[in-house]
Amino acid sequence: MNTCVFTSTTVRGDSHLPSAFFHFVPTTVSQRIAITGAGIVSPLGLGWQQNEQALAAGRAAFRAVDFFDTDGLIAKTAGIVDLPQGKLFHSVSPHKQDFIDRGTRMLLLAVREALTQAGRTDMSGIDAFVIGTSAGAMPLGESYFEHARQQPARVPSQLSRAEHYQSQRQMNCIADEFGWRGPVIIVSNACASGANAIGWAADMIRSGRCKRVLAGGYDALARLVFAGFDSLRALAPSGIPRPFDAQRDGLALGEGAGVMLLEAENVRRSDALGDVTGYATATDLHHLTQPDPEGKAAIRTMTTACAQAGLSPRQIGYINSHGTGTTFNDGAEAAAIAAWAGDAVKHIPVSSTKSAMGHLLGGAGAVEAVICLMALHGQWLPASLNVREVDPAVKFDLVQKFRSASLDHALTNSFGFGGTNATLILQRRAA
Amino acid sequence: MNFDGIHIRGVGAVSAAGWSAGELLQAVCAGTPLPAVSCPRPGDQRPWPCSTRPVPPLPPEKAARHPRLRRASAITRYSVAAALEALADAGHDTATPPPGLGILFVMMNGCVNYTGRFYHEVLQNPAQASPLIFPETVFNAPASHIASYLGIGGVVSTLVGSPNTIMEALDTAAFWIHSGVVDECLLIAAEECDWLSAEALTYYHPKLIASEGAGALLLSSQPQGPRIRDVTGPLCYTSWDERASLLPDLAAQTMTKLDAAATLIDDRCGVARIDRAETSAWAPNDWSAIRSPKTVIGESMGASAALQLVLGTLEARETKHPVVVSMPGTNTAAYACVIAL
Repeated sequence: MNTCVFTSTTVRGDSHLPSAFFHFVPTTVSQRIAITGAGIVSPLGLGWQQNEQALAAGRAAFRAVDFFDTDGLIAKTAGIVDLPQGKLFHSVSPHKQDFIDRGTRMLLLAVREALTQAGRTDMSGIDAFVIGTSAGAMPLGESYFEHARQQPARVPSQLSRAEHYQSQRQMNCIADEFGWRGPVIIVSNACASGANAIGWAADMIRSGRCKRVLAGGYDALARLVFAGFDSLRALAPSGIPRPFDAQRDGLALGEGAGVMLLEAENVRRSDALGDVTGYATATDLHHLTQPDPEGKAAIRTMTTACAQAGLSPRQIGYINSHGTGTTFNDGAEAAAIAAWAGDAVKHIPVSSTKSAMGHLLGGAGAVEAVICLMALHGQWLPASLNVREVDPAVKFDLVQKFRSASLDHALTNSFGFGGTNATLILQRRAA
Repeated sequence: MNFDGIHIRGVGAVSAAGWSAGELLQAVCAGTPLPAVSCPRPGDQRPWPCSTRPVPPLPPEKAARHPRLRRASAITRYSVAAALEALADAGHDTATPPPGLGILFVMMNGCVNYTGRFYHEVLQNPAQASPLIFPETVFNAPASHIASYLGIGGVVSTLVGSPNTIMEALDTAAFWIHSGVVDECLLIAAEECDWLSAEALTYYHPKLIASEGAGALLLSSQPQGPRIRDVTGPLCYTSWDERASLLPDLAAQTMTKLDAAATLIDDRCGVARIDRAETSAWAPNDWSAIRSPKTVIGESMGASAALQLVLGTLEARETKHPVVVSMPGTNTAAYACVIAL
């Protein structure tokens, strides 16, 4: 049992910065937040097992995008999820089925896996559903736009498009699928959304407002977003993301969903897969899309999350980095990790699983948190693929091949447009 | 939801009524619908009527200056103005915002003008789609700009959902204050209108008129200003029928918490079919006054519940009586709260 109880002065007193530079919850409750179920859908596969096998094999999952037009764009490939054929939602009306977004379908699969792992068949007893997404049901918005441009007359189906473009309506489909009613909170902090959602949920439990929260993140590929990253020249022309490679040329987009069922320690003492022990978020004011080159906000979130978990950098057995493969991100993150870890940096294994599945945007933080949980559970480290020559800024142990390891604590970073930085720390439960 | 010891220390608003909370209150109390203007489709004719009640032009003296705001969206400009008004209303110097400030932002549709413009460019010629516009389409761009303007490097988060999602944001803001994460928290809910969202509303009912704006509340543990004394909800639903069945409970539970004559600020839009359940739920009660802001300023979507709360705060300050704010929502949950000194 983690008995570290921090008071507000522990962090605030150690710093010359005002309290709002940190997200730190100095509650009097020292409980761990148990993870009793997790679900993952990624371009590497559907579910924990397929993803673990793909990571162990060092497989990447990029292929040509074929469900929207990429003519005129530099990038043509992405990490794409192969959704199963057939009806996924069984309790939603046939009319609504037509307006359930691809991302929502991925999320449903991840929710189902998380509930099954937790020994549940539905969402009863869950106090809240906290989900991060960056684009939501963007393809429906695109379709609404295109119909409106092409058809001057009123088109009845436009109402359904307008309604189901709203993320909360998409989440209603999941609620209906399980006959569940409860508050749905949708966090949209760009690429940190999924991590923020899990942190938000953990805070809801820590504060005593909830006992059990389903949390995670998702995003599906959308034409507007793909073209947007392409316009920024952020996508790798080669189609191959090489996080922390000296000659990296950009990121690859992906899609997917990750979900965790979080429970108060006093509710669920056994059977947990792991714990959320630290969470911090902060805002990088440097630029709307570019990180501060020194990664100052990332240093703050890693420092604060570790303080909440009662850990020093040396105790972190693995970092799943944000590691997009862009020049700006990887340089800033490498600098931040080096500054935060100090002398311990060379001992800390770091990789970016975006090298295998792409950048899942609002889903990234949640999927990567689930990968950390899988790594803690299986005692292995996933690799950063495609690295030819390690960037000299890298001072940490860049994991370039899947390997076994002994680790108790894993940290995952998520950084987003708008300067949102988030760090989550997970802890292994001993078998 | 626990709002013990939490006060609404300052409020700000931008709406079709103008660039201040005072103008909003005045217009809503007058009760006269603001004039609507036709909302044209770019490039072609729309064979059915569609109007909006837009925010009037920004008075030059209220224009905030910052590099980030040069090309910022309308939603950002509304939000900055409302946030600065809320800070000033609380007695803060807006040039040097207080340390320990957090931001929670709520929206429904988001940065629709830039999103529509960028997607249009993508359809025309993706190779020439503007890299300057795309980042402004992201949901959390307005919150990021406000954080940059105010120099807030701490907790800044954006929620997307129904207008009354602001109640979940308030809940979290109160928790952040109680637990010392922040000293004070700005809650901002905003929306901007474009021809697509205006048109979408007409699919719900031809008489619905889209509007836009921002409402801001500064939450603080400083004992200054009204409190959110009681909250009913969330009463969760996924269908309109379920919503209708829950509203009598929403009203009944709220009324048990009232001990004095109160003003009701409701969510009604003036279309009987849409308003029926809410009208029926609150009807058995006597009110000092009933305000229906949407009938005056239009449907400001993601900003609407925040504007109700701003009005409720101003009414509570002026009348010294409790104010009930009814936020039945549109597709996820119903809330009501009592604001009182």
